[in-house]
Amino acid sequence: MTDLVQLELIRESLIAVVNEMRANIIHSSYAPIIYEGHDFSCALMSADGRQVAQGLADHPIHIFAVPYSTQQVVAKFKDDINEGDLFLHNDPYTGGTHLNDVLMLQPIFFDGELGMFAAMRCHWNDVGGMTPGSLSGRVNEIIQEGIRIEPTKICDRGVVNEPFMNLLFNNMRARSERLGDYNAMVGTGRKAEEHLQRLFKRFGGGLLGGIEELIARSERQLRAKISERPDGDYFAEGYIESDGTNPDPLVVKLKLTVKGDEIIADFAGTSAQTNGPTNCGPAMALNAVGTIVKSFLDAKTPINQGSFNPITVISEPGTFINARNDAPCGGMAECKFLIDSVVASAMGKVAPEMTVGDLKGGANHIIISGSDPRGSNYIHYEWPAGGTGASDGTDGSNAVRSYNEGDFNSIQSVEMVEAQFPLRIERCEIRESACGDGEFRGGFGLRRDVKILGRTGALSVLSEKNVIPPYGVEGGSNGAANSFTVIRDGEITQPSPVPGKVSGFPLKTGDVVREETAGGGGYGDPLKRDPELVRTDVAEGYLSVGEAAHRYGVMIDGDKVDTAATEAKRAALSKSKISVAVELSNEEMTDGPRRQFLVPKSLATSLNVGDGDLIEIFTGRGSPLRAWARLGDGGENIVISATSLDILGVAPGDHVGVRAARPHPETFA
Amino acid sequence: MQEQKYIVGIDVGGTFTDLLCLNTETQELLSEKVPSIPGSQWKGVLGALEQLGIDYAEIRAFVHGTTIATNALLERKGAKTGLVTTDGFRDTLEIGRTRRLIGGLFDIKFVRPKPLVSRDLRIEVDERVAADGTVLQSVDDVDFAPIVQQFKDKGVEAIAVAFMNAYRNSENEAKALEKIQALAGDVPVCASTTVVPEKGEFERFSTCVLNAYLTPVVTTYLETLAAELEGQGIAAPVSVMGSNGGVMTLDQAAKFAAGTFLSGPVGGAGGAVRICEMAGVDDCITFDMGGTSTDVALIHQLTPRISHSNQIDAYPLQVPQLDIHTIGAGGGSIAWVQPDGTLEVGPQSAGAMPGPACYQRGGTEPTISDANLMLGRLPTDRTLAGGLQLSKDLSEKAFLGLAERLGEGAGSPVQLADGVLRIAVSKMAGAVREVSVHRGFDPRDFALLGFGGAGPMHVFLVAEELSIPQVIVPRFPGHLSALGQLLADLRHDFVVAWGGPLNEIDITELRSKAGDMQAEATARLLDDGFATDRHAHTFSVDMRYVGQSFTLSIPCDPQNSSWDDLREAFHDRHEQTFGRADRHSEVELVNIRLFSLGLIDKPALKFASPEGGADPVIERRQVWFGDDWTDCPIIDRTKMAAGESFQGPMIIEEAGGTSVVPPGWTINVHASGSLDCRRSYDD
Repeated sequence: MTDLVQLELIRESLIAVVNEMRANIIHSSYAPIIYEGHDFSCALMSADGRQVAQGLADHPIHIFAVPYSTQQVVAKFKDDINEGDLFLHNDPYTGGTHLNDVLMLQPIFFDGELGMFAAMRCHWNDVGGMTPGSLSGRVNEIIQEGIRIEPTKICDRGVVNEPFMNLLFNNMRARSERLGDYNAMVGTGRKAEEHLQRLFKRFGGGLLGGIEELIARSERQLRAKISERPDGDYFAEGYIESDGTNPDPLVVKLKLTVKGDEIIADFAGTSAQTNGPTNCGPAMALNAVGTIVKSFLDAKTPINQGSFNPITVISEPGTFINARNDAPCGGMAECKFLIDSVVASAMGKVAPEMTVGDLKGGANHIIISGSDPRGSNYIHYEWPAGGTGASDGTDGSNAVRSYNEGDFNSIQSVEMVEAQFPLRIERCEIRESACGDGEFRGGFGLRRDVKILGRTGALSVLSEKNVIPPYGVEGGSNGAANSFTVIRDGEITQPSPVPGKVSGFPLKTGDVVREETAGGGGYGDPLKRDPELVRTDVAEGYLSVGEAAHRYGVMIDGDKVDTAATEAKRAALSKSKISVAVELSNEEMTDGPRRQFLVPKSLATSLNVGDGDLIEIFTGRGSPLRAWARLGDGGENIVISATSLDILGVAPGDHVGVRAARPHPETFA
Repeated sequence: MQEQKYIVGIDVGGTFTDLLCLNTETQELLSEKVPSIPGSQWKGVLGALEQLGIDYAEIRAFVHGTTIATNALLERKGAKTGLVTTDGFRDTLEIGRTRRLIGGLFDIKFVRPKPLVSRDLRIEVDERVAADGTVLQSVDDVDFAPIVQQFKDKGVEAIAVAFMNAYRNSENEAKALEKIQALAGDVPVCASTTVVPEKGEFERFSTCVLNAYLTPVVTTYLETLAAELEGQGIAAPVSVMGSNGGVMTLDQAAKFAAGTFLSGPVGGAGGAVRICEMAGVDDCITFDMGGTSTDVALIHQLTPRISHSNQIDAYPLQVPQLDIHTIGAGGGSIAWVQPDGTLEVGPQSAGAMPGPACYQRGGTEPTISDANLMLGRLPTDRTLAGGLQLSKDLSEKAFLGLAERLGEGAGSPVQLADGVLRIAVSKMAGAVREVSVHRGFDPRDFALLGFGGAGPMHVFLVAEELSIPQVIVPRFPGHLSALGQLLADLRHDFVVAWGGPLNEIDITELRSKAGDMQAEATARLLDDGFATDRHAHTFSVDMRYVGQSFTLSIPCDPQNSSWDDLREAFHDRHEQTFGRADRHSEVELVNIRLFSLGLIDKPALKFASPEGGADPVIERRQVWFGDDWTDCPIIDRTKMAAGESFQGPMIIEEAGGTSVVPPGWTINVHASGSLDCRRSYDD
């Protein structure tokens, strides 16, 4: 047998081990979030904490965090790692995600030498803290989110540290369920050990050598892909709209450098950590950069440490993406998906053929709670998906998990919800007209109306991109932002002064909670979209006749496209587009974290925006740059700072497109 | 009137149409194999019958396994379908629970497959039933005429009716079905609860739409086939294999097209049960390897496992199916170089055209069949059954090309062929682990049963990979699916969504509902022509802990079981499946299930056994085993007598299959005709 064949056999075998670990967790877990929600991951790590194999079904949010955690364990325990040991970890500040995600590591020894680690990371439904479920939008320090476990040896040469485990379980709700989660992980580690010992027996020293070779090959592959791209600095930025306690946004700034066969992502200038939930530990930025770089350049090669080695991430401790004690981290998904969006914006300039419209942002956590007629309390929790972004040659898909997410449910069955809770789902449908327009359009989000049948209830929401919509690319339009409202007595009301951040809004019988998720960003000029495709969207009711005319310039007559009228309409729309020259400001115009553009009054009038409104500059290449308008008196040009020029890749005097960045596209009958 | 003594099973595969005919007087089996005719499967059926050369008037029964439903779906050639649904839910089919369902991770350009009903043909009506079954809005005032007219104007060929909470109270859905049927004329209409009356709107709507979408295709095909057979003078009724492993009448299949997706592969599992029974084996894993794929299924105590929640393409399919796991590895699977320079096998296949390089039909990529040829496991100096002459030169050329693409370390063509085979075997072993280890079973406790065109050639290697000590190779390994078909009973499945926590529901209600179900089943079987002494009813209940969402199916005797019996049985099953039970938690009943068989006569099977003592060796050849060439006898299976014993290594040839037996295996020819092969492992 040649080494090449052995290599493939080793790869197949390692994937089989991870798949069996996954099956074992699913089968032995008691918590629905594991066995149905699949909020867990399994991986194999090398003795020094590098990623060896990962299941393809796993959520990327876990993938890059596991090696980070393992390396912390290796660094802390060095020579004191022995057969029969077990380690536990959930601390975001040292590589965890949020406290609910608990990682167990089991060292595996081959002939007395530490060979690998089996890693199991599962979402525990409760890890203590101030509210059941541990996650809350109202926290202001991590202590309220549960117990923080730094890398800890919980089992020493087969002897479990019972006092420690008791302390742990005594401080978590639903002790027997927690014990079930724990036992499922212990049992899975044992299965992995058995299987790996069989592999070691079969391949001997070739096993670890093969692993090194597989890592080296993944690394070579990604390095080769990076080398094909031009060297340079690529800039992008994006905002957390609010941490829930403060009206100001948080900014993520990125300078992504392609240098030979390496990528360096430097997040200098990113906002400081906050006392709301929207912080995360240092593993999330690595996770986001890794996920997006891989998706853009090398989607198909199996993931292992080689997929991270060409990537360096620099983030300042104390910023909200590299938070330190005692910043809460319950909103880590909101941070992670924002970083994804910013990295995708930069990568769209690195690999223009892959540039893709933006997504819904954070997880869209919706919690409706209340009491049922029997008097017992219920919690209905879901996190509805939105439309996906468009790219060259491809429309986005509607209300579905996107490429940077694991593939699990985000809404529950209507019939299950209605049978279980005093709720009636009145509709769950495509949110028509809410796509980002483009030559290829973004996918549509969904609209879901949930009626309260019980006497009282409360609504909590933790969501991003309710104000700042998902961006379009290459001149494509923005998708509609997420929106969460309450319909009371037929009137739409806002449950919070800060859109997307709702904390315990009281609900009455008959209230309807309306969830509307974001549309994906569009790709390219909507006026170049094939009129037949627009007509099909109208025929299927995704867009109205008016929207086809005003947003795409496609004139529909009965069930046909009126070609002559369409040409005329498109010419007129094209002519009415606002294009102005940029002028360099000698100051970095900001208002706190907000970037600003100086907008002459005449331009503001034609854009129909006022002072402090969000606008964007687009060039037809990559994603737009957003800023808040600062109204100026005279002139015709839009005045922007030097860093704005860098991000956009334009020079003073260049003409650019300018438009308002409103939460929702205009609707027409 | 002539004696009707023949039962015919015909399995139409992607490449070949296999026919097996049982003479019930002599218990002899006749087999035929002809190329399938894509697009007109029935022509292949007629071709195979013609070659058989029996008197058509003597055919008593005719059972058919077809891939017509699967092909129509994968090629999106089903009917133009309209959906009538509850206000607010026209997009349930499209949104589902927002899962991609097929891959897509890291794939920026992932496109979710479109629903089978375009959005303009999904029409909402003002009706609503609450979760407790209360009718909130009756369907009585809805005027369906404009809806049906709109469908007709748009050329709709099938209509699905699917309402929210209809599993709890189907009154509105049933009324709508009746009204629409009255208006629709020839257009077939089906309702979600008549296809699958279970909770979960996405799965139920999806299944109902799949059923509507396929009904015209399946019906047209079966009617054409029946007419053609009748034209040939075959008066015997035609029945079709269902995905649940039983046969369906033509009428049943026309109403329940969604129940025919596994019509082809289930025959193999049914045949395997019979072979095991005859060979005295209770537990086996089937290993059915063909030209493009391999199907594996676990049979425990002579019963194939059933799965109720399935998916085909990107669409949930909530019908009972045998739990068959398929992977894209077959004789035609191609070996290729991955972007990172490593070697990979499949899932791309050379298919029948051009086929493996050695077929001399223009294929240039090395396949698993080429690898077997390189290793001396297939003959080069004689033609195969079907007249194929294999070219080792072309295989070698294909492997040299692969070695060049791999670069340094690729090894010689023979080493590479050996490697390709090892990789394929590793994948197939993974499929076997999937149906065993992943479901809580140890594969070493099962016999591995190799069949299909390429099964016997690889089954021993897969067994060794998993330390499985017993391999069974049946007679006519290439025709086992057809054998399963001609031995299958008629089967009806019933489900009623009823239940609740056991401490809140009344067992007399279970008994009365079960009684109703059995009465319905009895009426159906009588209709099918089965007297009551040929009926077999088996009940089970789906149960779970309160608060869980998945269920386990627990066998049940409704008229005699108590809640305590069922509760205990559930705890035990939970512990067996998942390693733990939670005996102080309350248990909930979710569905009552019944499957009812119309039992056919199980004719004895007799495989001709030669006199012992004849020299079965055809020739000797150098064959590659392990890491070297071995002088190996090539054996003629028809000369292996019952009771005789042989030692590997050897290659056993017969029409429709070649068994490759490595060193270390002992082969006993069982009285039933099967090869019962054993070996032991060090650990």
